[in-house]
Amino acid sequence: MSVGPFGTALVVVLATGIAVLATRWLPRADGPPPTAPERIPFLGGGVPEVHAWSRFHIRYYAMALLFLAFDMEMVFMYPWAVVFAAEGAIALMEMLMFITILLLGILYAWREGALSWAS
Amino acid sequence: MATDADRDVDGIDEDAVSWSDPLPAVLLVGAVLVAGAYATSVLDTAAAHLVAGRRLRLGELVLGPWREAALLAHMRRSTTERPDVQTWALAPALLAGMAAVAVATVPLAPGVAVADVADGIVLFGAAMALVMVGVYLHGWSSNSVFPLVGGYRFVALALSYEMPLALVLIAAALPAESLSVGAIVESQQGLWNVVRQPLGLPLFLVAGMGLASWGPLGMSDGTDLAGGTSAESSGGARLVWALARRFVLVAVAVTGAAVFLGGWHGPVLAGGLWMALKTLVLLAVLVGVGHRVARIRLERFVVVAWAVLIPLALIDVFVSGALVL
Amino acid sequence: MGLLTSAASRAEVPVFPVVGAGGREAAEALWLLPGVRMVDTPRAAAVLVVIGRLTRALLQPVLLVHDQMPGPRATLWWPVDGRPADDGTDGDEGLLAALPDVVTTTAGDAAGLRAVFADLLAGRRPWGPPALADIESPRWRGVGPYGHGGEGMMGGVPYGRPFAEMAQDPDGLMLDQLPLQIGPLFPALPPGLVLHLGLQGDVIRGVTLGDNPYRSWPGDPPVGPLDSVPFLDARTSPTTVAALEVARARHHLRWLARTLRLHGLDARGRRIAALAGGLSATDRPAVEALARRLGRDRGLAGATAGVGVADQATLEPLGIELAGGPVARAAGVAIDARTDDPAYAGLDFEPVVHHGGDARARLRQRVAEAAQALALAERAGDAVRSPGPPVEGPRGPLAPGRTMPSSSLIHLLPTLLDGQEWGDAVTTVASLDLDLEEAAVDQSATAWPQTPTGTSTASTRTP
Repeated sequence: MSVGPFGTALVVVLATGIAVLATRWLPRADGPPPTAPERIPFLGGGVPEVHAWSRFHIRYYAMALLFLAFDMEMVFMYPWAVVFAAEGAIALMEMLMFITILLLGILYAWREGALSWAS
Repeated sequence: MATDADRDVDGIDEDAVSWSDPLPAVLLVGAVLVAGAYATSVLDTAAAHLVAGRRLRLGELVLGPWREAALLAHMRRSTTERPDVQTWALAPALLAGMAAVAVATVPLAPGVAVADVADGIVLFGAAMALVMVGVYLHGWSSNSVFPLVGGYRFVALALSYEMPLALVLIAAALPAESLSVGAIVESQQGLWNVVRQPLGLPLFLVAGMGLASWGPLGMSDGTDLAGGTSAESSGGARLVWALARRFVLVAVAVTGAAVFLGGWHGPVLAGGLWMALKTLVLLAVLVGVGHRVARIRLERFVVVAWAVLIPLALIDVFVSGALVL
Repeated sequence: MGLLTSAASRAEVPVFPVVGAGGREAAEALWLLPGVRMVDTPRAAAVLVVIGRLTRALLQPVLLVHDQMPGPRATLWWPVDGRPADDGTDGDEGLLAALPDVVTTTAGDAAGLRAVFADLLAGRRPWGPPALADIESPRWRGVGPYGHGGEGMMGGVPYGRPFAEMAQDPDGLMLDQLPLQIGPLFPALPPGLVLHLGLQGDVIRGVTLGDNPYRSWPGDPPVGPLDSVPFLDARTSPTTVAALEVARARHHLRWLARTLRLHGLDARGRRIAALAGGLSATDRPAVEALARRLGRDRGLAGATAGVGVADQATLEPLGIELAGGPVARAAGVAIDARTDDPAYAGLDFEPVVHHGGDARARLRQRVAEAAQALALAERAGDAVRSPGPPVEGPRGPLAPGRTMPSSSLIHLLPTLLDGQEWGDAVTTVASLDLDLEEAAVDQSATAWPQTPTGTSTASTRTP
């Protein structure tokens, strides 16, 4: 049964994932089950007062928006790379203009402090 | 060899070896990953001993990784008070799976490619993006502070380094007029990409090191966070996480060898052997840098990624484009 | 023994060190032992090594860390010469007895450690039983009579712990702030340092110092031996200038090795620690070359430049400016007790000064001082320093009536760490070269550390 390249890739992913998950059931020496103090998260000898799950302040949210913009740019650059040689210099100039606009965006974000967040 | 004329309408290369049953593919990818992870550990030990000026014993070097793995397999898995058990178990599986996909897109020898699809580097980029999810989940799922901080720090870094990674691969795709890794390897028949696109390989290695969270860019599992995302992992969980991280590094090295170092091209030896040698060279470079360069400050290097690496990658793209025309 | 366990018993022993009172030197020897690997978290450790004297305040953290090791686990005790096992208690049962199955070996005994580890894996030693009682936290505990409710949005106590409360953030957002006690046994901080801080995201807000676990109470054994023993001895007895300066260089190189490990450069740090172990005045060219290499290292420069700036304005309120030490000299304050010391008069001594007061300046300062110390040791020959004037210790001046340098430096932490990202905070704390035991001297019932009689063992121990 031929599954084609994508199908093979999918099988490879699933097989690797299952192989990793299956290591849980490898035979090994048994010890006593974990006691309650063993399950306390490690803080250097102290006991945590609260759960770690919290509304973590992702300070780099502005940078993440910048990433989104550039991710969309990548979507355009992938097909551009394929037809580039056929299209010639026009394609180069057009992409150059596109990238310049986005680079100005990086510059703006940098100046506005989107890339530094911990002070 | 498959040429453009053989490419089907939907872009899938029917004449390349596409396994008719997936079992050999799984075994091949698994063998590459495990061998690569072992090589990484050996190189890591060797580099550590060299840099530290310690005496290196061959037996310790060769058997060391197996002994470590045996010890970790023997130790018991511990858990925390209220972890998310499912994602904690799935995170290493996701990471390993993504590394497997990345290796699958690369032709390991002439005619031997598990999934040399027409948009191989897009698949590679997608896999690397999901690596971010895997590392973050590993940090979040144990419900402990230091793994959580490690996960979030890694996401900040990975978001920044996705761009240079994808851009240099696109630059390499320009001469090949195709996004498939096999076509990129073939386009290096006369000249390797590392020569005609000198910016490509260093940028790729830096970005790859960032995404694999290795060495100076090891934000997720650092010493300053008491082990970061693996601070609460023990036993088998610790082993599979270490393996998965090494798998990602191997995937980066294999792809780098194919895209920049000419893949299976080489004079005397067999193609597969050349791929292995080139991968080992890149692994040695990655591991060596890990022992020589200090861990970065996160914010400062995010700025470097956006203000230095991305412009350099764009210059790489445009210069390569100009050269192609 | 199965194939798996026989292979595992030959692996490097993962060790989590607990540095008790007086154990700092031996803990660094542990790092250099062959076949032993120091790990960052007890989850990765198979052997807990308690080095030095266990104090009362360290007991509960040590018991918790012991229990946090998954099986198989064993506990070792490395006594520091001539010192008791723990703070004096009545009867034969000391604090150490609270840890199950402790094996006593000698400090630096790698073979003994490996033997215990091999026994553990072979099944000849039982997996260490837990030290603390297995008391389960209640799964959910609310406020009302039926276990429901709680205060505000984060009501109740799921699985025994509440969720974090919100706090104002400079961004203008109200987001969660985790109150943490980073305990005395956190590997990235100096042993014994307890910080109570709020962590908002990965940024620290509001640091207060916890109690020093090394402080001794009336009736307890005195604090020490500190790692600045040669300098303390020099207060009262004549010492050769060469010995003092070599000890200073050794101290700074050991600090550098530990700091490099924190920056992810374990192998480079190990090399420097090995150099420090056998250091003599003839190593001056090697140390000077090291100083030049570190000055050119862009990675370290990037990781430390602008981090933890403690300039003259910050130092003034704490009196450190008047006290000197490498931290002050890295901020541009050229105060060194050796300038007024007659023993150094003919040695052409000028204090080394850097500017900026950030972690990078402190790094370069200490390495430069190490190189300078070895140069002084060469020039001094057999010159003997007579006691009297204040001794310039590796962290600052030591004199009767003066607080120990670490006691002043530790009060910099709340100012410096507030608002810093976690990695930068670790860099900052490391760059201050704190010794909690030294700081405990000023907090203890006894006014001055009593150094052990006879030759000091600390600085002559080689790995």
